[in-house]
Amino acid sequence: MTQPTHHSDWETVIGLEIHVELNTKSKLFSSAPNRFGDEPNTNISEVCTGQPGALPVLNKEAVRKAVQFGCAINGKVAAFSKFDRKSYFYPDSPRNFQITQFDEPIVIGGTIIADVNDQEKSFAVNRVHLEDDAGMLKHFTSFTGVDYNRAGVPLIEIVSEPCIHSPAEAVAYCMAVKAILQYIDASDCNMEEGSLRVDANISVRKKGEQGLRPKIEIKNMNSFSNMHLAIEAEIRRQIWEYSHNTDKEIHEIIAQATYRWDPEKKETVMMRRKETADDYRYFPEPDLPPIVLTPAYIDKIRAELPELPRERERRYVEKLGLSHHSAFVITSDKPTADYFEKALEKCTNARALCNWITIEFAGRLKDTGLSLVSIGIEPDHLAKLVTMIDSGKITGRIAKAVADNMMESPGKDPEQIVAENPDYNPVHDTSEIEPLVDKILAENPQSIADFRAGRDKAFAFLVGQVMKLSRGKASPQVVNELLKKKIS
Amino acid sequence: MHRLSAIELRNSFLKGKFSAQEICRFYLNRAMKMDEQLGAFLSLFPEQAMERAKALDEKKASGQVMGKLAGLPIAIKDNIHIEGEITTCGSKFLSNYRAPFSSTVCRLIEKEDAIFIGKTNLDEFAMGSSTQDSAFQSTSNPWDLTCVPGGSSGGSAVAVAARMAPLALGSDTGGSVRQPASFCGIVGFKPTYGRVSRYGLVAYGSSLDQISPFATTVSDTALLMEVIGQHCEHDSTSLPIPGEDYLEGMNKNGLMGMRIGVPREFLEQLAEEPKKIFNDSLKKFQELGAQIVDIDLNILKYALAAYYIIATAEASTNLARFDGIRYGVRAPGAKTLEEIYTMSKEEGFGPEVKRRILLGTFVLSSGYQDAYYRKAQKVRTLIIEKYREAFKLCDLIATPVSPFAAFEKGSIKDPLQMYLEDIYTIPINLAGVPAISVPNGFTSDKKPVGIQLIGPQKADKRVLHAAYAWEQATPFHNAMPPLAQQEI
Amino acid sequence: MAEINKETIKTLAYLSRIECTEEEQEALSKDLNKMVGYVSLLDEINTEEVLPCNQVVDLENVFREDERKATLSRDIFLSNTPKSFGGFVVVSPVFKQS
Repeated sequence: MTQPTHHSDWETVIGLEIHVELNTKSKLFSSAPNRFGDEPNTNISEVCTGQPGALPVLNKEAVRKAVQFGCAINGKVAAFSKFDRKSYFYPDSPRNFQITQFDEPIVIGGTIIADVNDQEKSFAVNRVHLEDDAGMLKHFTSFTGVDYNRAGVPLIEIVSEPCIHSPAEAVAYCMAVKAILQYIDASDCNMEEGSLRVDANISVRKKGEQGLRPKIEIKNMNSFSNMHLAIEAEIRRQIWEYSHNTDKEIHEIIAQATYRWDPEKKETVMMRRKETADDYRYFPEPDLPPIVLTPAYIDKIRAELPELPRERERRYVEKLGLSHHSAFVITSDKPTADYFEKALEKCTNARALCNWITIEFAGRLKDTGLSLVSIGIEPDHLAKLVTMIDSGKITGRIAKAVADNMMESPGKDPEQIVAENPDYNPVHDTSEIEPLVDKILAENPQSIADFRAGRDKAFAFLVGQVMKLSRGKASPQVVNELLKKKIS
Repeated sequence: MHRLSAIELRNSFLKGKFSAQEICRFYLNRAMKMDEQLGAFLSLFPEQAMERAKALDEKKASGQVMGKLAGLPIAIKDNIHIEGEITTCGSKFLSNYRAPFSSTVCRLIEKEDAIFIGKTNLDEFAMGSSTQDSAFQSTSNPWDLTCVPGGSSGGSAVAVAARMAPLALGSDTGGSVRQPASFCGIVGFKPTYGRVSRYGLVAYGSSLDQISPFATTVSDTALLMEVIGQHCEHDSTSLPIPGEDYLEGMNKNGLMGMRIGVPREFLEQLAEEPKKIFNDSLKKFQELGAQIVDIDLNILKYALAAYYIIATAEASTNLARFDGIRYGVRAPGAKTLEEIYTMSKEEGFGPEVKRRILLGTFVLSSGYQDAYYRKAQKVRTLIIEKYREAFKLCDLIATPVSPFAAFEKGSIKDPLQMYLEDIYTIPINLAGVPAISVPNGFTSDKKPVGIQLIGPQKADKRVLHAAYAWEQATPFHNAMPPLAQQEI
Repeated sequence: MAEINKETIKTLAYLSRIECTEEEQEALSKDLNKMVGYVSLLDEINTEEVLPCNQVVDLENVFREDERKATLSRDIFLSNTPKSFGGFVVVSPVFKQS
């Protein structure tokens, strides 16, 4: 492809629009079920299929969840908000207009604090509003089919300010938003299923340049890693275009357009040009009265917010002694943090548990598409594993092998795994180990001398040698004790 | 039997004088014989109706409590859903569309033991004032077959005027029930906006539409209003108040002590004959104990313009759903998506509908919305305010229903001229207030004329009671079109 | 006051997906011009301090409980659908995916 142009002359401006499907039982304007994965057109009503004579009625719980989210991001929950009709024609739209909130959204402003490369960064949210989702198109060879199960599902659209300046920041922002949504139980946040969708608006400009250049919109990025790739590729492309078309006017080089990310080809494909701004002809929805929220209602929702990700993170650092980074990683995903706390009920070594969850097992799970929960490894089992290491029953090295076994047979008790495998049972018998210690001591007089001279490294060397000689089977604890006894 | 009012007919049924089957057969017979020259019905349900009548006779025989409309045949405008029956809205586009759910009003009516005998003709999608713009047939005025019955609910008006049914439902967005009521010499009442559910009414102007009853007497109208004037949880604009008892206390003193406001300046343009008839009515009001008060409603000269902007704007989005994808007639030749959209509408929509959709799209479009749509909404606020001010000085307002009586078919070719027909009825829909049309005389060429009584929002009972007093003191409600007088 | 010509009609027809023949466009632009001319009457009134009327009767907060209730059955829904297959509503191929 193209040579990546020197980026340091350029800066990137990114705005993100995140559409989130709320996990209410029923749809936004009708009582049809809000459920994913069922047979096409089985979760429908007259409202969400746009039948003539149908009328929308607003779901109370959707409003509550939107307000909850607004409070969680310290946004201003509007005392007065209303709905508008947004007109456009598309087969997945049951009425050929969407009911959304145009100029009076339910939440204005807000802040997302995200962890970017171990640094805390604050990002501004412009607004959050409620709207109904469209149906889904399914492409077959000779026709396109429309399924209205998703039509009418409640969405909140979270619009950031154009204050994101790199793909890493974009991913961090989205992860932080996802975490908050998980913690308040507002959505399944499943990017593959489409309950969390991110559209990115990207433009570049010379460092220090005021004003914004034309932007490109990228849709359909179905994972955070794909999003990173897509944004990075687009930034490179724009910089290349500007750098290689210095004879043209700036606004002629990048034409505003919408691209979709093709997950198979791993590249962006143009969907349509935006020559003229779409004329959506927004006007107030006559079938729906406005939403009027009292300060008392809003305050109550704020007061009843569950523990949010950053609060939990702080708790882990302060009360459990986790490092800031570990606490951040583990609290980024609520199911994982919940898993961790369950394991903590049985084992108090928070740091070790965290390590096993976020590094050891995370590494093993990486390409499976599963999580500790979905693979079926019980939190108590993890607790047991750590306990066995801490009590010296198994070495760190053996523990890794046990972990591999747990991956192969999820649900199997690690104590049982260890009991069944003779290789995992370190020898504690002093009478068996002592000869080995004596042998090593005999062979390494210099190390003994070094240790006595104050070099602790020498001791570790001797321990290592004994362990090697025992082929890892000796209990490290016993080896330590014996050595200490003999050479101190 | 056709000389009986609905209430008399119901009582005859309850007393055992007639069976439901006799009543039903009688009216079906009349409809089948007379409608050839009148064209009021788009469809009749003789089998279902007779079955229902039989069931009612059995219900009565078993001693169960019968509903308020027991045994009464009723005609329904064909833009109101009866589940399982075709709803055409007078349009080719929906000629094969079967309603998947019943409107709230039809459910309520059915619960009260009435019998649906058929669906009536209308101007396509309720857009018109003559019932000549239906895709299927023209409806004729029973008083003079060369004249229009008014519109858009002409079919229902004619069904009642010709005594093919004692009761009928229409819809009133700018006068579509009151104007045909006056052209056909019967009673038509538009309730306060939100009093009757719009669920199951195919929407035209969402903030203006109300389903409205037709009958030959005010008491019959009040009876039907008691049944359909209920809060509905499927309609977010439905008034959150319980149903009212309109018949209770209805007596000939309904005008005693009433201050009746007359906007003289606004009525200046009225032609001689209608002016005389109107003024004679005012004199009669005074005889009945009312006081005539001058009020200022000069702002109403802008009402028509505001109405045509708002109604067409709402309609342009309400009708967008008719794209031939989920229901309706899809153009068989259409191959691409764009063709489906445009060709289905080309073959499905008549010229008046197209005109209004384009106008509505225009007034909402970017660059024009402020000057037209928003402006009209502001004028609407002023109109509502002016009505409120006027009602401080009076209890009811009186105006003619229409500048003239039923006109000859084809005599008005200019669409704008047709719109000017509705000059007295339209402001009522903008203000959401209740208004009734009751017969108040005949022109020199023996065509009926109506007078309009208007009340403030939620004063439906006051309007009905005043109209009752008027009716009881005048002979007009006894008049029947000559061709309807025979027994058959 | 806006002037509506055939170009305007074409744009409006596209925005609302309505097909108009050449003659219809002619006739419609005349009709619409007349209507727009008439409704421009509103320019006469001063509405500077006036708020637009979005609600005719002053309602607010009309909600329903988050409950799943009887929905439309697929069979009834599709019984009105011009073209359906395998439970889906059929439209022509929407875009060329390449």
